[in-house]
Amino acid sequence: MQWAVASAAFLASAVEFVEAFTIVLVVGVTMNWRSSLAGAFAAAATLALIIATLGVALVEFVPLDALRLAVGIILVLFGLKWLKKSILRYSGVKALHDEEAIYEEHLAEIRARGEKPEARFMPFGVALSYKAVLLEGLEVAFIVITFGSSVAKTAAEKSIGIESAAIGAAIAGVLVILLGAAVRAPLTKVPENTLKFVVGIMLTTFGTFWAGEGFGVNWPYSDVFILVLAVLYLLASFVLVLWLKQVKQRQELQADVQKAAVHAQK
Amino acid sequence: MCKKLPFTRRNRRPWLKVIKAIYNFIVGDMVILVGVIITMAILALLNYVPGLTTLKVASGVILVIAVLVILLTTLSRETRAK
Repeated sequence: MQWAVASAAFLASAVEFVEAFTIVLVVGVTMNWRSSLAGAFAAAATLALIIATLGVALVEFVPLDALRLAVGIILVLFGLKWLKKSILRYSGVKALHDEEAIYEEHLAEIRARGEKPEARFMPFGVALSYKAVLLEGLEVAFIVITFGSSVAKTAAEKSIGIESAAIGAAIAGVLVILLGAAVRAPLTKVPENTLKFVVGIMLTTFGTFWAGEGFGVNWPYSDVFILVLAVLYLLASFVLVLWLKQVKQRQELQADVQKAAVHAQK
Repeated sequence: MCKKLPFTRRNRRPWLKVIKAIYNFIVGDMVILVGVIITMAILALLNYVPGLTTLKVASGVILVIAVLVILLTTLSRETRAK
């Protein structure tokens, strides 16, 4: 079991599944649970199929060095995207992801369509649930495949990495389903932004490490340097959050001064 | 009557949509994408151009600094947009 891979996949999946769960819940409440769960399970099966086929193809046909370079670059892209979003949300420049608001929005949309709860399978409900789980899960599948296949030292270990990542993602999925079934409401208490931030740090760290290795970089202290990179990115992120908070305060102050000037002119 | 689009435009649109979807899925931010591409190009040059191989030892430092600069640049662009 590769614990770093499993935990990264777990955290990434938790974020995405919480977002997907909100839509599944809306469909379940407004139409029926049969359609909602059918769509969700069909999407989960599609994702499992994607991970199995793409994962096996990567493990079998792509050399480890080339894989690490390509995966490193992709993980840096992914990681920076996640890190940027979470830093903007921490600093208040961007609003936090509000599951309650998203739930209400989708609820209103479905009700506006005139959909009512019925016992039969409702194609629109199945499709909506399927689309939500598939789209949110696709990013997780990508992380599971790339992260899982690259963490290995040898070709034989590559499939173990994918298995570990898949286990991490599956545990997150089961946990979200259990929590959702218990609460029967949008999972607003899950600290989505913190999870996103941690995953962003992990993806950027591993991405930098593997991309560097792909270019023949000999990192000091070998694998221990991953921790050094993580701490470095963590510190840099905290500094950036503080800086953005200051920038936001300054912008708000300027806006207030401008408003006051306009009022004074009137 | 509906005017037909030129052949290239008619066929380009679905591909553009696919490319845009992939771009949004993987990164969705031009600063990050361009920054990472430039960084990788520099690292590739340091690795494969014989005259520059003496600078290869700095590849790791360049990569880490580039990642931090990209993050800083994309965040500062967001604040300016606000």
